[in-house]
Amino acid sequence: MSNKINRRDFLKFVGAGTLGAGAGFLAADASKMTTEFLIPQVNLPEDYSPGIATWYHTVCTQCSAGCGISVRTREGRAKKIEGNPSHPVNQGRLCALGQAGLNVLYNPDRIKTPLLRDGERGSGSFSPISWDQALTTISGVLGTLKIQKKANNAYLLSGGVNGHLHELFALFMDQLGSKNYLQHEFSHPASLYAANKACFDEDVLPYYDIRNSKYLLSFGADYLGAWLSPVHHSVSYGHLRQGTEQRGRCVQVEARMSLSGANADEWIAARPGSEGMLALAMAHSIVEQGLYAGADAGDWKQALGAYSPASVAERSGISADRIVRIATEFAAASPSLAIGGGAAGASTNGTANLVAVNVLNYIGGNIGEAGGILFNPASTFSIDAPRPRASYQQMLKLFASLRGNDAEVLILHDTNPVFTLPAAANVKEAVMAVPYVIGMSSFMDETMALADIILPLDTYLEAWGDNIPDPGVGFAVASIAQPVVKRLYDTRSAGDIILALAHQIGGELPANMPWTSMENYLMEMWRSVYRGKSDDSSDQGFRKFWTSILESGVWGESPQQQDRPHQAMGRAMLSAVGMAQPSFAGNESEYRFVMQPYLSLAFHDGRGANLPWMQELPDPLTSIVYNSWVELNPKTAAELAIGEGDVLLVESTVGRFEAPAFIYEAIRPDVVAMPIGQGHGNYGRYASGRGSNPIEILAPETDSGSGGLAWSATRVKISKTGRRVHVIKTDGTTRDLGRNILGQKDGHA
Amino acid sequence: MSTALEKFKKYRKPGYYDKFDYHWTMSIDLDRCTGCEACVVACQAENNLPIVGEQQFAMRREIKWIRIERYWEGEYPDIKLQFIPMLCQHCDQAPCEIACPVFATYHNQDGLNTQVYNRCIGTRTCAVYCPYEVRFFNWFTYEWDEPLEQQLNPDVTVREKGVMEKCTFCIQRIRQAKDAAKDDSRRRVRDGEIKPACVQSCPTEAMVFGDLNDPDSQVSKMARNPRGYHVLEELNTTPSIVYLKRVHTDG
Repeated sequence: MSNKINRRDFLKFVGAGTLGAGAGFLAADASKMTTEFLIPQVNLPEDYSPGIATWYHTVCTQCSAGCGISVRTREGRAKKIEGNPSHPVNQGRLCALGQAGLNVLYNPDRIKTPLLRDGERGSGSFSPISWDQALTTISGVLGTLKIQKKANNAYLLSGGVNGHLHELFALFMDQLGSKNYLQHEFSHPASLYAANKACFDEDVLPYYDIRNSKYLLSFGADYLGAWLSPVHHSVSYGHLRQGTEQRGRCVQVEARMSLSGANADEWIAARPGSEGMLALAMAHSIVEQGLYAGADAGDWKQALGAYSPASVAERSGISADRIVRIATEFAAASPSLAIGGGAAGASTNGTANLVAVNVLNYIGGNIGEAGGILFNPASTFSIDAPRPRASYQQMLKLFASLRGNDAEVLILHDTNPVFTLPAAANVKEAVMAVPYVIGMSSFMDETMALADIILPLDTYLEAWGDNIPDPGVGFAVASIAQPVVKRLYDTRSAGDIILALAHQIGGELPANMPWTSMENYLMEMWRSVYRGKSDDSSDQGFRKFWTSILESGVWGESPQQQDRPHQAMGRAMLSAVGMAQPSFAGNESEYRFVMQPYLSLAFHDGRGANLPWMQELPDPLTSIVYNSWVELNPKTAAELAIGEGDVLLVESTVGRFEAPAFIYEAIRPDVVAMPIGQGHGNYGRYASGRGSNPIEILAPETDSGSGGLAWSATRVKISKTGRRVHVIKTDGTTRDLGRNILGQKDGHA
Repeated sequence: MSTALEKFKKYRKPGYYDKFDYHWTMSIDLDRCTGCEACVVACQAENNLPIVGEQQFAMRREIKWIRIERYWEGEYPDIKLQFIPMLCQHCDQAPCEIACPVFATYHNQDGLNTQVYNRCIGTRTCAVYCPYEVRFFNWFTYEWDEPLEQQLNPDVTVREKGVMEKCTFCIQRIRQAKDAAKDDSRRRVRDGEIKPACVQSCPTEAMVFGDLNDPDSQVSKMARNPRGYHVLEELNTTPSIVYLKRVHTDG
């Protein structure tokens, strides 16, 4: 049924003349009903005045950065998402994917009611049931396990949730009697956490002070595109470039030019996996030149002895002169900062690479300095214990136990491991092996399709929650997420579902989880934060505090200098330093190219592919829309007689797919790259059946230091299929051709 | 015809633009711009831009009032990429305005190049005349899959088949700010009070919007920056967008 209102109807409504502003909107809504109301709401809700926008602050969950957002609503509908100016993470700004959150809320493919499987498992055939029925069934299953003392056979696998929802999950599983609670997120940088644990003995990431740096040397970290907190980094980048008199310099080391590489002053196409060696060679050069004055200089001279620029030159493909030049610039610039991540952290030697980057910072004197690496304070929240974010190894262990005889129930919350893990992990088969699978999600996807019962979730714009940004911003910050619109469908938030289940399962659960709703739970938890911070314990005082956080969207404490013992750090790094050669799956003679999948700006790890705005957003580096592509160096392409749009067969040792070629000017000839995000089989009308998923054919290589997936350690071979497709993109000529569009020629100042 | 020509001559009289209340101008610092496309989505959300679909996109019928262009320089491994956001330049001597047979596009009192949708008869001449290729034609009446239409901004018209459209500098935001100033008994809008959607979203603060008539406005200061230039300046379109060229450091 169309909801379009025809012109005559519209005139009728306007002709009535009593409606005032917003009439068209209400009328369009009313026309859907059989009974039409001329004045739908005599008593308007207090936050609802026709024609006037109301803004609500909440938190973005499109990636794990935790940006504060302000949502503009009109007549009860969300109209636009902007950054919350008072939030220290994004400071009023927001990325493309964050702004497309409206496409999540109003997505036509949302799950609208609880669903019960009515066909074969995995067939994707479901029929609607009521919430009562769904919750009674699930609490029956979980309650029986609890009574039989077999609750440890229940597993909870969640996407990356933060804040008190994580706490609630942990409490629920604990109360149930299960220790099997894990979080999975493709983009979780396990190697970065492992490297910082080894060097600084910290469980949370430090703060990389790009803003105040004058020389930013990035080893593979696409800090402007997808690494950790891209909006925060972009704000900082703007300041680094033009915020002060002295313009900061950016250098990027990576095999395939990322968005950050494109914006750097110098791009260094090092061999994949050699980033750590380069960092150590630079540290070597700094120590050798006597530019490092620390008391442990002698120790470092010895420790770095094996990494002279000359010896690293060949292994990295970068000349010794260039290594020494960059090292000298890095040491001379004050303050300077080296960061590492992306493909550098996703090699088999990923953790070692990132330890090496920390060493370079240590030798460069950047640790604990403004414009270098600063430390985040211990949080005031009890929930600051590390979240159970699973590395690839841990996921494999989980799947092994799911395949075992004991596993009874698997609860999946907002995660899609079938898509975000290699086919070699056999996720689908492991999930299918579990007798009973409960799904919680707003959308049907490849993993949810395997469930027996699905509980539809509120989107983040309809639910209560809170968030402590990780990485932090150097001081304690938290924000509360509140619903900005009434829920559209018969959905509930994950917190409310967990609390309802706890209540129905009975036993000691209701007593230990007495909250009536997620909102109530959050308020109680924040009440204890308030009590810890204030002498005023009155309810009135707390209400004021609570309202003020909702109004500003953020709560924070003033920064305090965070010092860490320098000497211990130096010793820890001296013992941690050491590089292994990266290894790759597939022999070089047959599988010529190292494949580097990368997080797409529009789709992140694939979750954004069902958003029409994101499908139609040109990729920043290629301007391609609506499809996947494989990036090849022009020389490689010429040698293999491959042109743009030639459909290639890409094969690794464990799998294959087809995708059109794109000639990309800034990639090593021995590397091919491909964006992650497309290739969905079952993810709504906008995503399904488009492109291919590069994660699928990754060999199950891991980073030895952290157990994380080494997604840059797979070799592939490519061959032409003989077919050709039209690569849809916005770019025409990508050379200036003397038009002086960029204003670089003289006489145009 | 002669009347139109006379009007046009009068309209082109030197000094005409000094009479404007405001001279809305945008500066874009290419040394800050990272090409992250946040502005593209901000514009899409604010201005009810349609999703044209894969098939129409393949025929270059996309509608993006602002886009990021990229230009490569050099060869691997000494290769550089530069981004430049391209949107309607709101030219003071706009070629598109000369072209329109029905005066659907004209210059308003604020120096904006304005498109009147219900005057437009869809000859598409303006798009041909525009050297910046920033005018977009509605080949169809595009639909929003239910309930995506609930997101549509009620302050902005949804365009229909046969109409040309382009960047408006978020004229709805300009109007609101002017109204607010009037309600506040102020004669003029304060500098920085108006932020078009793209400017608001820009993570690196590469874009600044304001009144060029006010010499103290931030955008006037940016426009005086020695790095400032206009794209395709030799065409004498006198654009209202000042780009600040990227700083290149060698070695």
